[in-house]
Amino acid sequence: MKAALIGAGQIARQHLTCLNTLPGVQLAAICDLSPATAEAAAERHAIPSWFTDHRQMLETIRPDVVHVTTPPTSHFRLAMDALEAGAHVIVEKPATSSFEELQTLTLRAKQTGRHVIEDYNYVFNHAPQEILRKIETGEFGAVTHVDILICLDILGPDGFADPNAPHPALKLAGGAIADFLPHLASLSHAFVGPHRSAQTVWSKRKPSPLPFDEFRSVIEAERGTATLGFSASAQPDAFWLRVYGERMQATANLFETRLTFDGPRNVPKPLRPFFSGLDEGRDIRRAALSTLLRKFKGPGAYEGLWACLSRTYQALATRAALPITIEDVLSVNRMVEAMKPREQAA
Amino acid sequence: MKALVTGANGFLGRHVVNALLARGIEVRAMVRPAARVEALGWPASVDIVRADLRSARDLVDAFADVDVLIHLAAVVSGGEDAQFAGTVGGTERLLDAMAASACRRLVLCSSFSVYDYTATSDVLDESAPLQQSPDVYTRGGYTVAKWWQERLTRRYVEKDGWDLTVLRPGFIWGRGHGYLAALGQQIGRHHVVIGPLTRIPMTHVENCADVFALAAADPRARGQTLNIVDGPGERVWTYLSDYMRGTGERGLRLPVPHWLASAVVRLAFVTVFRRATKVPAILTPKKFDAMLKPLRFDNRKLRETLGWTPPLDYKQCLARTYGPEPARVEAAAWPSGKAASI
Repeated sequence: MKAALIGAGQIARQHLTCLNTLPGVQLAAICDLSPATAEAAAERHAIPSWFTDHRQMLETIRPDVVHVTTPPTSHFRLAMDALEAGAHVIVEKPATSSFEELQTLTLRAKQTGRHVIEDYNYVFNHAPQEILRKIETGEFGAVTHVDILICLDILGPDGFADPNAPHPALKLAGGAIADFLPHLASLSHAFVGPHRSAQTVWSKRKPSPLPFDEFRSVIEAERGTATLGFSASAQPDAFWLRVYGERMQATANLFETRLTFDGPRNVPKPLRPFFSGLDEGRDIRRAALSTLLRKFKGPGAYEGLWACLSRTYQALATRAALPITIEDVLSVNRMVEAMKPREQAA
Repeated sequence: MKALVTGANGFLGRHVVNALLARGIEVRAMVRPAARVEALGWPASVDIVRADLRSARDLVDAFADVDVLIHLAAVVSGGEDAQFAGTVGGTERLLDAMAASACRRLVLCSSFSVYDYTATSDVLDESAPLQQSPDVYTRGGYTVAKWWQERLTRRYVEKDGWDLTVLRPGFIWGRGHGYLAALGQQIGRHHVVIGPLTRIPMTHVENCADVFALAAADPRARGQTLNIVDGPGERVWTYLSDYMRGTGERGLRLPVPHWLASAVVRLAFVTVFRRATKVPAILTPKKFDAMLKPLRFDNRKLRETLGWTPPLDYKQCLARTYGPEPARVEAAAWPSGKAASI
């Protein structure tokens, strides 16, 4: 299967490194507006050809799959061109700037018989997958609620809040936080299904070029409820996922490998907290070590991206069901749309 | 004569502006839009243009009436891709604009990091082997960006027939920027000194800036590639002692022979870290060599080509770095606490 990529920035490195490890996948070409960036990525990842014009690349290479890893406002145009060239599209989140663009894109994908996959990498990290496995086996019980909070300092001068070069994500409704909504919505979707209603609070705690730096949302979904949040001020950085089931509860930090479960055990009820605490302490110590070791090797917190790409390519090769379907993408983005602010902060 | 200086308010840039003015060269200083330049004390004759090379669209006007571009700007913080996008992408935008202007002369600030230290033995001078692709991609973000910046610039020069001078400084040091990666490994306030007798390829920021001003003005610099070091360099132990005395830092110094540290690093790399994708710089043999390999350095070519001698000797440099602060450079905004890169 022939793969090509448009946009050789930071996240592209994870896609390219992963693609070079996948059996049956030939990384055929890369495209970037900057010739040096395209050529350097081609050299680094042993890609046989590089381009600065994506249409020329699509015509010359005729790839089976195109990865779109450019800034979000260019996704729609590039993904449409890739579909027209007969390729499946794997697009970084957020897939498009607006829901209308996504509807046009997915409609065209269906008409051309191609797939559009938005990268929901954290859903495929070990922890959420392990919780989903326990849910599937019935061990966890039905999920009643999921609580997801990203604590991430994005107010430093080098990233989203750069005072010299405005970050492309600031063009999205909600600004920099909009870049994280697909993570929150896709995890919520994985545990409690499509949303029915959403109530949100967007606010700003600190002066910065960002329109908002805090976000909370309460979601009523088909199979339960969810509270989703983003905080640029709460420290230290963490990505907390808490899932509440009818038999068990799970806590994970997706920036690390930490995952703990608390559930029924065969001890007298007064002793349950004691044994639960011992188990939880053991699991946290193990996670501390594995989080340290994974820094030396592999994708780190992007493990889910690698898993998602691997499963996607396997499914495409065998014409099996994809791990992320067009219906999933539409459903997640309906939730994202419902959470977006109605107006920018003053 | 008028010079356009990119990165003009940076650690090196602010001294290059002063050195150019001292030689009677007019300066157009390019700084980022949000940069604060008031504290630098530049005279009103310095023409300030505000642009960020990472995103600026139209830079041609900045070249109006400019005789020479002195390109110092580079992104030295953030991840590998941010450094590449800023340093190399920024250079692409800048040189595209230069190609549309009448300016035909360029002085590029490259770096010692473009050399392949591992393949170099005994003396590192302008004839030493350079990093090659794809090996260079194991050297980390700063080296990849500087290596590509020089490679890209040479391509433009070849295509457009410009006059190019490439200057490759060693470790640039000065006030607020005294700690050097060549000093080994700092653990808290203590230092593991690897190869205490190794000489450091160092140039004080004011001496280094003087070379840039000289190269911009002197026709003998055209077409040349010159390393900048003030001399054979101080020994690691000597400079670390002066650094600790100057900063008042107290801590233990543990000397480790270079051959022993090198053997340990290479053994660890082969046995433990071979398949690792992210390893601390000092545990990666090529980066270890670039920071710490005991080589000899000289500035013979610089002296012979331009007749240059450093305006400041080592003692004067120490006084400028660690002594009382002269009024003219007060409120320096360069971040301290980060080891200078080469």
